[in-house]
Amino acid sequence: MNIYLLWIILSPLLGSLVLGAMYLYSVKIKKISDIVFAAIALVTPFVSFIFTFMLFLKLYNGSNDMRYTLFKWLKVAKFDVNITFLADHLSVFMALFVTFIGWLIHIYAVGYMKGDEGYGKFFSYFNLFLGMMLLLVLGNNPVIMFFGWEGVGLCSYLLISFYYKDAQNVIAGNKAFIVNRIGDFGFIIGLSILFIYVGINGFDYVSVQQHIATVPKPTLSLIAFFLFIGAMGKSAQIPLYVWLPDAMAGPTPVSALIHAATMVTAGVYMVSRFHFLYSLTPAIGEFIAIVGALSSLFAAVIAIKQRDIKKILAYSTISQLGYMFVAVGLGFYGSGLFHVFTHAFFKALLFMGAGAVILQLHHEQDIFHMGRMKDASKIIYYTFLIATLAICGIFPFAGFFSKDEILFDVFASHHYILWAIELFTAGLTAYYMFRLFFTVFIAPKSSKRIDKPETLSSVVTYPLIVLAIGSLLCGFIGVPKIMGGSNFVAHWFLMFGDEDIKSSGMVEFLLMGLNSIVVLVGIYIAYKKFAIIDLNREIKLSGIIYNKFYIDEIYNMLFVKNLQKISNFIGKIFDRKFIDGTVMMFAKSFYNMGEFVSILQNGNVRFYAFSMLLGASAFFTYLIYVMG
Amino acid sequence: MDAGILSYIIFTPMAMAFVLMISKADAPTTRNFAFLTGIVILVLSFKVFLDFEPVSYMQFIEFHPWIENYGISYYIGIDGFSLVILILIAVLVPSGYLLLWEGRTKGYWISMLLIESGMLGALFSLDLILFYFFWETMVLPVFLIIGMFGHEEKVYSTLKFTIYTISGSLFMFLAILYIGIAFHNEFGLWSFQLIDLTKITILSPIEKFWLFWAFMIAFMVKIPLFPLHGWLLETYKNAPTGGVFLLSSFMAKLGVYGIIRFVMPLFPNLFKEYSSFFVWLGLFGLIYFGIAALMQDNIKKMFAYSSASHLGFIVAGIFALNKYAMLGALFLVIAHAMATGGLFLLVGKIHFYLRTFNISKLGGIAKIAPLFTLFFAIFLFSIVGLPGTNGFVAEFMIIVGSFKRSITMGMVSALTVIVAASFMFWMFQRAVLQDSINDTSKMKDLNYYEVLGLMPVAIVIVVMGIYPDLFTLKIEPTIYYYLHDILKIGI
Repeated sequence: MNIYLLWIILSPLLGSLVLGAMYLYSVKIKKISDIVFAAIALVTPFVSFIFTFMLFLKLYNGSNDMRYTLFKWLKVAKFDVNITFLADHLSVFMALFVTFIGWLIHIYAVGYMKGDEGYGKFFSYFNLFLGMMLLLVLGNNPVIMFFGWEGVGLCSYLLISFYYKDAQNVIAGNKAFIVNRIGDFGFIIGLSILFIYVGINGFDYVSVQQHIATVPKPTLSLIAFFLFIGAMGKSAQIPLYVWLPDAMAGPTPVSALIHAATMVTAGVYMVSRFHFLYSLTPAIGEFIAIVGALSSLFAAVIAIKQRDIKKILAYSTISQLGYMFVAVGLGFYGSGLFHVFTHAFFKALLFMGAGAVILQLHHEQDIFHMGRMKDASKIIYYTFLIATLAICGIFPFAGFFSKDEILFDVFASHHYILWAIELFTAGLTAYYMFRLFFTVFIAPKSSKRIDKPETLSSVVTYPLIVLAIGSLLCGFIGVPKIMGGSNFVAHWFLMFGDEDIKSSGMVEFLLMGLNSIVVLVGIYIAYKKFAIIDLNREIKLSGIIYNKFYIDEIYNMLFVKNLQKISNFIGKIFDRKFIDGTVMMFAKSFYNMGEFVSILQNGNVRFYAFSMLLGASAFFTYLIYVMG
Repeated sequence: MDAGILSYIIFTPMAMAFVLMISKADAPTTRNFAFLTGIVILVLSFKVFLDFEPVSYMQFIEFHPWIENYGISYYIGIDGFSLVILILIAVLVPSGYLLLWEGRTKGYWISMLLIESGMLGALFSLDLILFYFFWETMVLPVFLIIGMFGHEEKVYSTLKFTIYTISGSLFMFLAILYIGIAFHNEFGLWSFQLIDLTKITILSPIEKFWLFWAFMIAFMVKIPLFPLHGWLLETYKNAPTGGVFLLSSFMAKLGVYGIIRFVMPLFPNLFKEYSSFFVWLGLFGLIYFGIAALMQDNIKKMFAYSSASHLGFIVAGIFALNKYAMLGALFLVIAHAMATGGLFLLVGKIHFYLRTFNISKLGGIAKIAPLFTLFFAIFLFSIVGLPGTNGFVAEFMIIVGSFKRSITMGMVSALTVIVAASFMFWMFQRAVLQDSINDTSKMKDLNYYEVLGLMPVAIVIVVMGIYPDLFTLKIEPTIYYYLHDILKIGI
């Protein structure tokens, strides 16, 4: 059964290879029908999902962790790393929703990308992404995780700049890649120090965990800190979040799969994977929680003033990721991962719904150019409503359980300021999400909106229904005990040894109630302002919030422009005038000597060779004479 | 057949060059024979690879007295380090030939053959005079090829290249003679064999200091290391594609090889003493050249700086004095030669069709030439060090090795993950991907023999990235030997 692990990963990777080769064949030699591409692209994630599900059942029935070793990757001195895959409660939990949602988004993309000239290429990249993501999640040691980590970054780049002819898309791709690389710079530092201190005893997670206590405390904090920088990049947290909104340049299925449901949660997964490290460095944990809280607040504030439907969702992703980091930072891994899980459903659904609306309106993305989309398609309308309710955390939708649990944990562990920030952010979330919802679906139609929205094929809409069911029900796997649930999630993640927080049921119910009131207030304000908004009036947005606090501009001035200046100075002035000039000055004396004997420069190669030989021999004889 | 196989490898190209030179063969015939020679070398090298035993000492040794009075001999052999570079040359040269296939003259091909012989000879030499002979032999045709077939201010470039390399080598030549005489003084007989010269004990610290630097300067010029890189930019910019290909892929690496082969055993203590200095110099070069590359508009200049940046990183790996960094550096020698060689060849194709190297005059190539773009991307990813390419393994191991040396060094070395990415992707966007106002419709995609030429390179890049352990078996004993027995570092 362990070999399933191999096929979970290999299936999409092979799929990617085959699709890529077929695409090149199709471009260079003979056109291949889209149906063939679609068929292959849909089978491979499904295979992964089925195998993952079987591993899940096995673990559910009490099996031990499973491993499968493919080959020895590299052995030098004490660096001994195998390509080994690991199925434990954490990795299978992640892989399960990655493959399932990945598969659904593949189906959606079959319809969404229809008729695109890069159809085959798209699915080749999409499969590659899934393979890399599974490598990241299922690897048995940090090196494989890093391999997948960089791999998903590459796929993200390829897919953001998918329509590469437009420079803006590629620039967004470059930005994503380089900002992620700054994160990876931290990751690789953390990884290397970790290896130097404990890796010599074996570098898989179990060995690292066994020996982690031997590392001196300050070094441990250093490792934890630098690894988290990697997470900041991948999971778009302050200050490395800037790439994610621009990443929306990619086709919408990409935003749904990579930049909402899966890849961006890799940072949360990584911190959870190294829980044994972070539980020894509570100060770094607090730092993570603070970064998470600030990111969630900051992104939510920006989201209330945006007008591009995908950008709003992008900021909301940053915000929700912030919640997850607050949880894992404070050591509540189960709660953080529960939110990762529910978020994957409703955020993928939101993006796919938004993508559907965008398709219906012939690539219109400005919410103020929409309105009254309720009538265009009932499926999109209701599924989007469910997703919006879920992200706001309305009972009994998925987000309610997971977000509520995080808020409760934060409160009960006496982090009242963080709790207040997160509570306020929950209100903001409700406001900006319903602002979007009312403007797009309810408010009277804008004159800029086309009259007859496109009808979409069921390939696009059916996955929405599946995800809507998920967004409605998946919260029930984590119903808190106090509400009579068994809290499957908490059980599943006993491995983390999360603190079981004791508090009177009264407090927990009070918090739930307070939470719900804040959310309802947010929705109410949004209703007042946007349900009947007149979209034909010119809606101008300006100010510091609309301009995202000018962070991009500041980064650009501080880093990009200065780096370019330094580069120009070094590459075009300093290096030639100063460095080369100095060296050439020394050479000048030789050159002047050369002037003198330039009569000998007659261009005859044999003559040169002869004189070289002559000179060398003369010199040689002289040396022997003098020294010998 | 094993007897003399290395000599066959050295002299086949040279002999072929002379035969072609005096024959009346036209350019295409010359080219076909040059390619055939490349294939013969490839087959012979593969045979060497198979028969090579994974041990640390020299193998395939050949010894013939040459100038007996002075103990100068034709003494060649290989160990793990030379094997790596041999395979590199053998695999990459035929690929290069296939990419240079059209439009070169007879003199061009003959020069290429002569350079190949010179490189292989320098690679196998275990006698310092013999090494010096080949070292200069390979430079001479480079002058010719730049001077005759280069672009723009080619004469100036040739001159500059000459001044730098000749003066660099001159120091080394003097040092070789000095050491030889010292050997004679101590033992009463002549020898220029490397093993003999390492036994000298009478040199004073001052003498050793000067000799060490004399060798280092020769190799630093060739690599090039900061601040001796003045020739690099002009030469790379103006040299013809074949010349840049050989310079960047192999000759720069022979500079690195020279440090390992000669400086390390001759001056083990100075090597250790100056190791920190050279690690920092290498890391400085990594960043300095990386920043300089960012704003270059000429693609070849950008790659010239990019090469120098990576070579700095390789040197840092060599001097970090542990197995991780050393293996990483060797991996990077291979990875960088393949990727940068491939990129220069592809850029040569751009110039062949569009007559420009300026990024601002390019764009829109991806649409016209998908296969071209695919290979370009694979080489670029290897330079940037993405997983699945050998560049990833190389950078990762050097970083780990730097951390083993010290945390500060490690942190600076980790900057490599940002440096190349910052300019490579931007260049890729402007030169290849995005549509532009420039008319690049004359660009053509790779044809079948060009694909055939690049395919093996791309496959090796990927296989080495996914399954690097396959390639470490034969070189690990040598690394161990150098660190443990020559530098006496306990592992």
